[in-house]
Amino acid sequence: MGSRFPNKILPYVIVAPSVVIVVIFLIVPSIESVYLSLFSVSPFGNKLIFKGFANFITLFRDMEYLNSLSRSLVFTSFIVFVGLAVSLGLAVLANLKLRGAGIYRTALIWPYALSPAVAGTIWALLCDPATGVAVYLVKLITGHTYNWMTSGNLALAIVTLAATWRMLGYNVIFFLAGLQSIPRELLEAAAIDGASPFRRFWKVTFPLLSPITFFLFVMNSLYGFFEVFGLIDVMTQGGPGKATNILVYKLYEDGFVNFRTGFASAQSIVLFVFVAILTIIQFRFAGRRVFYR
Amino acid sequence: MKGRSYLVSMLAGLLAGIFFVAMTPTVSQAVTKISFWHAMSGRRLPAVERIVNGFNAAHPDIKVEAQFMGKYKEVIAKTIAAVKAGKPPHIAQVYEVGFQTMYDSGAIIPVYKLFKPGEVDFGDVVWPIRDYYSVKGKLYSMPFNSSTAMLYYNKDLFRKAGLDPNRPPTTYKDLERIGKKLVESGVVPYGFSTGWPSWIFEQAHAYHNQYYANHQNGRKGRSTKVYFNKPFGVKYAKTMTRFSNEKVYIFGGREYSANKSFLAQQIAMLIQSTSSVGSIEKAAKGKFELGTTFLPRFEGYPRGNSVIGGATLWVLKGHSKKENAAVKEFLKWIIKPEVTMQWHKDTGYFPVTNSAVKRLLDEGWFSKHPNHLTAFLQILSGVKTPMSQGVRLGNFVEIRNIVQTALEKCFAGTAPPKAALDEAAKKANRVLKEYTELYK
Amino acid sequence: MGYSKRFTIFAHIALIGSILIIAFPVIFALIVSTHTFQESFAFPPPFHIGGNIVHNYVAAWNRVDMGRLLFNSSFISVAVSIGKIGLSMLAAFAFTYFGDFRGKYFFFILILITHMLPLPIRIVPTFELMDDFHWINSYYALTIPFFASATGMLLFRQFFLTVPDDLCDAARMDGAGPMKFFWKILVPLSKTNMMALFLIEFIYMWNQYLWPLIVTNTNDMRVVQIGIKMLLAGEEQAAEWNVIMAGTITAMIPPLIILLLMQSSLVKGFVMRQEK
Repeated sequence: MGSRFPNKILPYVIVAPSVVIVVIFLIVPSIESVYLSLFSVSPFGNKLIFKGFANFITLFRDMEYLNSLSRSLVFTSFIVFVGLAVSLGLAVLANLKLRGAGIYRTALIWPYALSPAVAGTIWALLCDPATGVAVYLVKLITGHTYNWMTSGNLALAIVTLAATWRMLGYNVIFFLAGLQSIPRELLEAAAIDGASPFRRFWKVTFPLLSPITFFLFVMNSLYGFFEVFGLIDVMTQGGPGKATNILVYKLYEDGFVNFRTGFASAQSIVLFVFVAILTIIQFRFAGRRVFYR
Repeated sequence: MKGRSYLVSMLAGLLAGIFFVAMTPTVSQAVTKISFWHAMSGRRLPAVERIVNGFNAAHPDIKVEAQFMGKYKEVIAKTIAAVKAGKPPHIAQVYEVGFQTMYDSGAIIPVYKLFKPGEVDFGDVVWPIRDYYSVKGKLYSMPFNSSTAMLYYNKDLFRKAGLDPNRPPTTYKDLERIGKKLVESGVVPYGFSTGWPSWIFEQAHAYHNQYYANHQNGRKGRSTKVYFNKPFGVKYAKTMTRFSNEKVYIFGGREYSANKSFLAQQIAMLIQSTSSVGSIEKAAKGKFELGTTFLPRFEGYPRGNSVIGGATLWVLKGHSKKENAAVKEFLKWIIKPEVTMQWHKDTGYFPVTNSAVKRLLDEGWFSKHPNHLTAFLQILSGVKTPMSQGVRLGNFVEIRNIVQTALEKCFAGTAPPKAALDEAAKKANRVLKEYTELYK
Repeated sequence: MGYSKRFTIFAHIALIGSILIIAFPVIFALIVSTHTFQESFAFPPPFHIGGNIVHNYVAAWNRVDMGRLLFNSSFISVAVSIGKIGLSMLAAFAFTYFGDFRGKYFFFILILITHMLPLPIRIVPTFELMDDFHWINSYYALTIPFFASATGMLLFRQFFLTVPDDLCDAARMDGAGPMKFFWKILVPLSKTNMMALFLIEFIYMWNQYLWPLIVTNTNDMRVVQIGIKMLLAGEEQAAEWNVIMAGTITAMIPPLIILLLMQSSLVKGFVMRQEK
């Protein structure tokens, strides 16, 4: 693409605000994260001891960190795979030409407006061990009472469900946008060829949706790793027995509750590796066409 | 495009609001403003406000601004952040496990230094509380909300299960027997629960005269090793795990969440901070008869004392003389007998001075509210030993969290008690090592 | 393309069922927010509307100074959305209309990197930076670090690339400078994209939790999300779910309104992008 405005200075001036913000608030702190990860820092920040890679070594020997890692992976995988599958199903239904389709669509996407903290609070209410409606319903059906405050895996399951639920609206919006941009002629051609609706979906719709699916895969992964902090904080604070202590929560606790700044920075670096891998995958396979928060 | 014009007008409204706020004139500067960061929520919040409002009304030239900062661990986190940012609050309410961190911070003015000798009679502070927060006989932070743990129980449920409502458990054996009876008779699904599980675990050590960490619980030099995985700690964890399997005990979450099950009469007994007595009494009124008693004991261990919990007020450096003088006024205010008495009545926290206790006795308050007396008797009848004066650990916040996790693992059955505590001790020792390295 | 009757009925039932299941948690929260404290911890839980609605909402409002929190959340959400739209449009403009100026690709990649550095990755130093700037507990800390947007820049860049060259040529023929072209032609053309980005960024900012949690520390600077945490932290005796839910519902209303008002622009904005 050629230069349409031959101006030597203006492009720098108008790109400068973004660049300045990126450098000051993103690049510099990230480099500093690397630097801090090599130190042990006192709570009030007045003492600094060089530790080399000790923080990283501690990290990967720490059963708790490894536990946190595996819990995060389970948590995020569920959000991504189950969440996307359900959302796609809902989007396909909502994309049908039905009476009231507009209302259905709105009724499906609104949970997107709920914050993770709001979602967590509401689910904490539903699952309150003493009085929650979920506990009541489960007791009605199975005759058992479950206490997710003592059962780690149950707590993880509940937190995961809550987080997945909260993302449905977002996923449906994008799947709907994707479905609506599929050229009708293609589907009609397939129909004329005698393909069943199910086959049409798999052979035509699903492949055409793949950029959107891929984009949502990345966004949901990022959500599962980072954005769910509020949900964990209001529901379980990482407990019981660290069963819901996903990476971002552990990072927060070590950095801002236990004041192990260096150790927390080392965790940041590991997280960065995850994001970097995700981003590379995204650029490699999905191209730059779909790219959105 | 109706939606859009609506949006535009909304944005305009917002911007107008911003200007309105920006234009609001600032309050005149003659008043000295004191920021007081605390963690008192629920029914305690109005009690704090009562104290602050009373003070502000009596001191027109000072305005104490009480800010609720969240839970204890958040108050200390915020305080540290604010100190680093060069904008510390004047007063921060820090819980007992934050003592060592504050003490080592270099960011505080010890209370004994703030006041001139003789200006305030610290000797009037009830001894177990004074001891806890003193180093070499000098008081570092201002006692404000001190509590300990005791056992609450539901007399009506005892009756329903055919138990004597005036014979609550005194030993863990009793606790098990009574708990089983309660569950078997179908009165409740579980016998008892506790608040603050790892704090209760610390309590058990002090109460049975056991050290929690070396160097006399860190009171004679910095601790480098924890002792909670010794036989006593393991016995406690094993017992509670067994109780949990027998449904005698149910893990009730951290801090105060177990209170809810107690009030909903899903459990019949609760080991909890005495500071809940005010709210539990109020909520139980008309629903069931409340009883309180001393903490249960294991037989065959020496007698110690239940340990002081709760928080004290720390004075932060970095303020003008005038502001420090105002802080002094406020601290004097909170240990006035009338103020501390009211605070006790509202919440159940100990009245921190002997003179306040005396006046409460004279008033007949305790005979009308025997549940407010229980913990007091418990703590004053205990034995003064180095084991029960309180534990001081570097980064205790994290260590308590580590212990909490270990206990949760025991109760969930994901790790045997001994292994869980050993693992926790290893971690805690590493935390201590890192801490001592920093403050060599 | 018509569906068989059986299929239509099935689809309706499936949709209504899913919608009810998805909405149930919020409906129940709404119900609880109308009950008294005693009713809220009844077992079995209440399934009907109670009569304590005004009390609960007023209590939640007063307990955490909800008015102030709502103002703060609205302010930072609007400010960040506008800031992001402005900055990313300008950057996209620079990248599409000025040829290969020196350092263009470097700047381009630099802005794209934003996407790879979510806040938690740099949280400790960014927090220290706020310390150094004395920005702790200020609107600056809550807004300015969020201003850069890789996604916004890409969105506008893609859109600008589709704007017919004729428009640009015509403007230049009329003697319009680049900024005039930007204001008079590009900005009006980008409205749908701007609205879509506004919606997404507004909700994103409104829902921020971790960053406000650590950079604010007084009542007057807190945001709504932290208000919910504050209500929950008041779990001194029993969680007052009725009041907590009143606060929670209050916190979710503003983004919900924005979403419902602007959802069509969102779908349009993205359908348009899909076609390219």
